[in-house]
Amino acid sequence: MFDLELKNVTVHYKDIVAINNASLEAKHGEIIGFIGADGAGKSSLMHAIAGVGRFKGEIIYEGTDYHSPKEAERIKENIGLMPQGIGLVLYETLTVGEHLEFFAAIRNLKKNNDFFTYKNKLLQMAGLLHFVDREAGKLSGGMMQKLSLICTLLHRPKLLILDEPTTGVDPLSRMELWEILDDIRSSEGTIILVSTAYMQEAAKMDKILLFDEGEIIAGGSSPELIDSVRKYTYEEVSCDNDKVCFSFDKRSYALYPLAAKYAEPTLDALFFVNALQKKHTLPTMEIGERQSTVTIPKVVMEAKALTKQFGDFVANDHIDMQLQSAQIVGLLGANGAGKTTFIKMLLGLYPIDEGELYLLGKPILSGNDRRELKAQIGYVSQHFALYKEMTVRENLLYFARMHAIGTETALRRIEKYASALGYLQYMDALPGELPLGINQRFSITAALLHEPVILFLDEPTSGVDTIARAQFWQILEMLKVKWGISILITTHYMSEAEYCDRVVLLKEGVKVADEYVDELYRQHPHAKNFEEIFLEYYQ
Amino acid sequence: MMRVFWTIVAKELISFLRSWGLLAVVLYALTLDVYIAGAGMQIKPRNVAIGYVDHTGGGISRKILSRLHGPEFVPPQRFLSQKALSDAIFNKKILVGILFDEDFEKDYRQGNTAVMNVLLDATAASQSFTTLGYLQSIIMDFSKIDFPVTVKSHKLFNENADNHTFMALSEMLSVITMLSILLPAMVFVKEKEEGTWDIMLLMPIDAKLTILAKSFSQVIIIMVGTIICVGFVLFGSFDISMNGSFWAFVLLTFFYIFTTAGIGLFVAAVSKSILQVAQLSMIIMMPLIFLSGAWTPVYAMHPVLEKLSLISPLRYYIEGCESIFYRGTAFIDLWPYFAGVLVLGSLLYWYGFRKIGKLF
Amino acid sequence: MRAGVIKAYILKELTELFRTRLIIMVYLMPSMILLLFGYGIRMEVTHARIVILDYDQSHYSQILTSKFEDSIYFDPTVMKIEESKALHLIKQAKADMILIIPSSFEKRLIHGQKTEIGLFVDAAFPTRATTMESYVQGVIFQASTEVGEGKLPKGMITLNSRNLFNQAMRDENAMVPGLIGLVLLVAPAILSALLIVKEKEKGTIFNFYASPIRKHEFIIAKLTPAFLLHSLNIFILFLWATYLFEVPFRGSFALYWFAGEIYILISLGIGMLISIITRSQIAAVVLTVIVTLLPGFLYSGIILPISAMDHESYIMAHLFPVMYYNHILYDTFLIGEGLDSPTNQLYLGILLLYAFILLMLGTLFLKKELR
Repeated sequence: MFDLELKNVTVHYKDIVAINNASLEAKHGEIIGFIGADGAGKSSLMHAIAGVGRFKGEIIYEGTDYHSPKEAERIKENIGLMPQGIGLVLYETLTVGEHLEFFAAIRNLKKNNDFFTYKNKLLQMAGLLHFVDREAGKLSGGMMQKLSLICTLLHRPKLLILDEPTTGVDPLSRMELWEILDDIRSSEGTIILVSTAYMQEAAKMDKILLFDEGEIIAGGSSPELIDSVRKYTYEEVSCDNDKVCFSFDKRSYALYPLAAKYAEPTLDALFFVNALQKKHTLPTMEIGERQSTVTIPKVVMEAKALTKQFGDFVANDHIDMQLQSAQIVGLLGANGAGKTTFIKMLLGLYPIDEGELYLLGKPILSGNDRRELKAQIGYVSQHFALYKEMTVRENLLYFARMHAIGTETALRRIEKYASALGYLQYMDALPGELPLGINQRFSITAALLHEPVILFLDEPTSGVDTIARAQFWQILEMLKVKWGISILITTHYMSEAEYCDRVVLLKEGVKVADEYVDELYRQHPHAKNFEEIFLEYYQ
Repeated sequence: MMRVFWTIVAKELISFLRSWGLLAVVLYALTLDVYIAGAGMQIKPRNVAIGYVDHTGGGISRKILSRLHGPEFVPPQRFLSQKALSDAIFNKKILVGILFDEDFEKDYRQGNTAVMNVLLDATAASQSFTTLGYLQSIIMDFSKIDFPVTVKSHKLFNENADNHTFMALSEMLSVITMLSILLPAMVFVKEKEEGTWDIMLLMPIDAKLTILAKSFSQVIIIMVGTIICVGFVLFGSFDISMNGSFWAFVLLTFFYIFTTAGIGLFVAAVSKSILQVAQLSMIIMMPLIFLSGAWTPVYAMHPVLEKLSLISPLRYYIEGCESIFYRGTAFIDLWPYFAGVLVLGSLLYWYGFRKIGKLF
Repeated sequence: MRAGVIKAYILKELTELFRTRLIIMVYLMPSMILLLFGYGIRMEVTHARIVILDYDQSHYSQILTSKFEDSIYFDPTVMKIEESKALHLIKQAKADMILIIPSSFEKRLIHGQKTEIGLFVDAAFPTRATTMESYVQGVIFQASTEVGEGKLPKGMITLNSRNLFNQAMRDENAMVPGLIGLVLLVAPAILSALLIVKEKEKGTIFNFYASPIRKHEFIIAKLTPAFLLHSLNIFILFLWATYLFEVPFRGSFALYWFAGEIYILISLGIGMLISIITRSQIAAVVLTVIVTLLPGFLYSGIILPISAMDHESYIMAHLFPVMYYNHILYDTFLIGEGLDSPTNQLYLGILLLYAFILLMLGTLFLKKELR
């Protein structure tokens, strides 16, 4: 007998089927992971289970069956939902303590000793005990997510639904979040449904469901799922041009036998194999040579003792850094460690309080220098911020003109990038209508049109699905090789840090490491992956 | 330089045309809203409801009552007692009550001065007052008094004292004020809200050029909207007279929009979200409109307010527009309005420009 | 109904209102509208600038001129310029009217001949033009009855007018109560529209969707803070009206207060319905202003008495709550019949019904699900 059963649940939004005929079973104490691309139907299914969205079909929780949000009211006492988005359910101006008071009150909890002990335990676990009087709007992203989680846990739900609780959260906070979840699962026997974009997290769950285009296409434990794709995973070889195959992260995937040794797959392999099976074309990304001729010196940009203060708070404390040509540097750190401030200083968006900045050997001093700096750099922001009222073509043309590129040259370049990066058919669509992965590719085009010498990428892969992420890294790799460009990237995916050449680690505004990746592995011989190296610096 | 300028302008125009919600609000404000204001509000008494109590038995009173007819009056209603009459006034069934007492006809026939009692609902003071004037002239006319002095009155610029065109024009000028604060503020704050602000700053463009181009794009939108409004609503629906030069109006409007765009830039500099823009603009805009003379002529205001209104650019704009539309003032005589708008305009725009420039 | 749940929400709303400083808008906006409209709109005309061209320079013409000088309505200037130059003054908006006394004015009057005075009025502001014109006629009428005393023909009818409720014919008395009706319709509606839409826009609405809070609990929790805060405005506006604008208050304060509270409920109900159909704060504000401000103004009776409206407007006016409330308002300020009047009783009942229906509709349409 299962404690939670879904029978043929379908969710429509007008004509669009968000999730079709989904069924699943779960028992108390189980953690079930939802994985799949952006828009595959994970959130819609979660909303249906939580009773906040309309659906067709039947859901039974502990013998209570419901078919609509209205009927679901009966079990809402038992449900905890944490929807997608950092700090989404928090009130910016309320303090941490006031949040807990509020959530306790709307759940009508009795304020007995038991409650206070539990509340303090949660605060303790979330590391928020000393921040009870801080307003939620002033917390870091990681802390916000932990606060959201303990607010959701306060009424001891028996069915916990978490929609991407860890996206955009640094590895340390992520680890702490999972510690809380593990503890609750074992002490309360909660069913936990959680969606995630981090495959390392998914691997730890009891059961994983793979979502694709509104269907659950595979389900099982992590080893079972990995076994199912083992026969398609090989060590990296160059693929045949006329046959479909895909290579990424030291592995190649193909449905036909490759002349290579088998390799141990990860959960990421599920996505590649699924794409291959559905005969989705995975366009090969091709970046041409730079059209303008520039000689890029070895050191492209140099920061010396850069410092930024906001009032008494030192956001960046005397940070030195060199960005060299043909090198990808990963800038890592917990939420609030000062990464964004640092990038903004390099970009010339923040005035520098102390220290010096050199671009191509020239110091950046005046406003004029900064304008010249801006002409030489490319920038892709977290949200791929592009103008949503203009089509892809119009957006790109706008950026080209702002960089004083002639219309003809611009159109030629745009066309070239569009076909090389495989979004030619979307040129006349508005960015809002396109999947995140496509937006990501065309925002990188916008940053490349003027052929910069440095590229800054601020969490460009948050929320983007595995395949799009793989393709994105292919582009970066090509840029590095063909253009000799220098790239600075921030990310919360520690697996991505391994694709970087060098890694700079910030902690509370101070640089704590600046090393080549292999060197870091040498210094930390016990680390199995980069996440562990990161955590060693932080603990 | 110019290419970049026009690129930014084009980008803002495209964005405006594609954000249908905003477009709908702007179109509504400049067409339907102006139309409703003009068509709906008629301050001159029409259809005034009248009641009477007649204790005379008819005759003279009938004859007087028969002169109360449309469009000013609806046919008078009879009441049986003074109590019923005052109740009807109280319940807003009628605005004016006439009381003919028993002596009325006798006095009149005997050649004495007959007194006609009139009760007015003075909660609507202005209509009552004007209605009293109508009654006065009707009675004078009835008595056929050969009054030695007559007044030959000419209403200049608006023969019938038609209120529609005036209300529509006033509303249009208020709407222009509102839009020319809101829209320029919104183009900047939208970038803040949607996270494109950094991208905008990262363009290797002089900040001054960006600010100028962005505000200019909104000036174009409002100018086009104004011309649509004048063409379709003022000329099309209300057949307003244009006694002065159309180009003087266009030029004055152009300068004026830059003035209020300066306020918009200031609003944009201190706001983080569109909602804050709306709140702040409202707080700034309302005193501006009320101190402008749109509703009450400046010289009839409290002396302090009258002095204050000297720094309201809308004051010069409204007076200027009334002069152009109605009075047909010659271009040369419009200089005080142009001077007022230009002086305040350059000050405000300069201030707003500096304020937002600090964010770049 | 669980008091603890509602209390928690109310406490949260109040904390947020104070910390986001939205509270300033709650109290600033109503008073500002009242003060600006109250000072800014004058229906009566004072200090009209009249240029008198006295071509007669006689005893009679001076009597007439002095009448204008004595009147508070006029600021006369006697000039000796040509008519066309005087007209130019109007074009430059330096004068509102020109009065032309012809050269044979006195002579003709003494000889019993009729004489004609010319009047040019700037009708760019039409209502004022009509009012000014009737003032001028009144002054001339008065002057000539004085001059020609005893010569009046027999059988004359005079008007004996009594201004009910507002003897002094003060504009403030006529305007300010109506404005209270407008303000209390617009301001609470905007606040209540924001309170719900804000949570939708931010995402915190999930706390309501996903928890066992019932719909009516949520509505009570959301509307109570707005209701309490705006209740204070009933008193603030009262003080402005009676002390600053010196509007008399003749009725029962209890009735004024009670009707005000019900009216606020109606306004909150309108805001709530709007926040149910909109998704962003800005859309909610725009829609609320469109739905409340213009009808509130048009059908309030400030601009035009309801009885003088044409057929459609008359029906429209009866569909909006503002007319009923304003009737009670004017009664409490200027008349004082109170609940003795059956109309007041009826209108109060209609207001109650409005409040009830709007709140019911809110509970009905509010859905605990994503759309």
